[in-house]
Amino acid sequence: MDIIMECKNVTYSYPLTKKPAIKELNLKLERGKFYGVIGENGSGKTTLCAVLRGFAPSFYKGEIEGEVLVEGKKIGEYGGELAKKIGFVFQNPFTQISGVKDTVFEEVAYGLENFGVPAGEIERRVIDVMRMTDIEHLAEKSPFELSGGQMQRVALASVIVLEPDLLIIDEPTSQLDPEGTESVFAIIQKMKEKHKTIVLVEHKIDLIAEYADEVLVFKDGAMIASGDKKEILSDMSLLEQGAALPQVAILGRKLQEKGLPLSTIPVTEKQAVEVIAEALKERKR
Amino acid sequence: MEKSYIEKIQIHKTNKVAGLHPATKFLVVIMYTICTFVLSSVSLTKIDLPLLAIPWFLVVLLLCAASGALKKCLKALKAVVFIALIIFVVQTFLVPGGEVLVRFGILRICEKGLRTAVSLSFMILDIAGIFVWLFQTTENKEISRALEESGMNYKAAYVFTSTLQMINILSDNSKTIMNAQRARGVETEGNMFIRAKAFFPTLVPLVLGAVMGSEERVLTLEARGFSMQGEKTHLFNLEKSGAEGTFKAVSILITVLVVVGRIALWIL
Repeated sequence: MDIIMECKNVTYSYPLTKKPAIKELNLKLERGKFYGVIGENGSGKTTLCAVLRGFAPSFYKGEIEGEVLVEGKKIGEYGGELAKKIGFVFQNPFTQISGVKDTVFEEVAYGLENFGVPAGEIERRVIDVMRMTDIEHLAEKSPFELSGGQMQRVALASVIVLEPDLLIIDEPTSQLDPEGTESVFAIIQKMKEKHKTIVLVEHKIDLIAEYADEVLVFKDGAMIASGDKKEILSDMSLLEQGAALPQVAILGRKLQEKGLPLSTIPVTEKQAVEVIAEALKERKR
Repeated sequence: MEKSYIEKIQIHKTNKVAGLHPATKFLVVIMYTICTFVLSSVSLTKIDLPLLAIPWFLVVLLLCAASGALKKCLKALKAVVFIALIIFVVQTFLVPGGEVLVRFGILRICEKGLRTAVSLSFMILDIAGIFVWLFQTTENKEISRALEESGMNYKAAYVFTSTLQMINILSDNSKTIMNAQRARGVETEGNMFIRAKAFFPTLVPLVLGAVMGSEERVLTLEARGFSMQGEKTHLFNLEKSGAEGTFKAVSILITVLVVVGRIALWIL
């Protein structure tokens, strides 16, 4: 198993608070896997992102116990170099614009300029990423004139262009309309195909069910469940813990209770259609 | 073939004055400012008015016209003229001292008042004017690039550029907040008094919002390798118009002449 990141018994509390925001977290992230993080508000999901990116405690201060290792090396030892390894995208599209560039092209190129990549290569890489994220037609616009969905795509592009191994994405779609959400997920899907490791915090559980490989469930700063998405998302006991589960999983469980012999609990719409159709056929026979 | 994006973001200027390298423009500004101080220390007429600062303002207009941006500059200069005018009036009537020159009822104009009024208002007009020329003929990114080129820390250069960009964004935000507050029943239109009352409910969210946004912006920058050590690439490069040498030489020459002239006046 190729571990890209590991948390060993990590407890973190923000400055001036007594209650830790992350409690005794043990977590191994495998290279190339897509992790969906769910949990109610205030359960520590965003703090998890900050810890994984090293912003807590280096930026937020506060106290941390335990170790966060990136490829076997302590996260604090990377310094500014971490930007090459870990990409970070968060909720608010409007604050993810650098504020010093006049066009979307320059905005996306900004990170590569900081890395000192030669100009010719920058142009090539930026164009590739702009095509992939479908923002090439915006290349000469000012980044501040875009809509929320477009801005979020620019923010994603600006991070993807750096080609990090690990992408941490914190609720990228919470301020977007369905169309914007879809376009953002299409980009994430492409990153998954490129075998990037992805940690995604998202409330839209159906999207997690569709795209993620593994699911991590948080409650009150502790990780209460983790594992394969099929297992986790069909575990009805999590509903009592305040986690949301896909509608189809709940439907599946209820149908099972009513006596329809489903082979498994479905977690995505597609699965549900297959499983239920199969069960109905069985019944007719 | 279509132009590459890197070519598209470059700024090409055909005007030799407007296209001067920002560092040269800055030198001109500094030299002009020095001359302004020296010239306004020369007193003319019976009551010692520093009148030389007035024709000196023509240099600003000349530079603006030569840059082909006279209209744009005049628009920006309007505000400067307005401020200078207010200072002129206030100083003229309020500063006492010396002989009384004119008297209108309770208002009077004293010698010293007129002297400070002329020197202060025209000094402001001159110096602000030359900066108007600098900023109206130079794009923000040219300035920030020049700052970095001159060896300024990239962090300081960032602060400078983002401040310039923020002005537009904050004014947009303030409109949004005004609309929101209006929806809540805060009156924002009417006489001065009503407007003043609406000031706080609009300003506080604006400033607080900007402060809160800055935290996330720090994270954004960090995620883009802002604090990476080592050489950075610059896609945007400054161009020289070719007239840099002449402008440097002329501005230094004039300054030297002005200073020498001033010293000569002292000695003689």
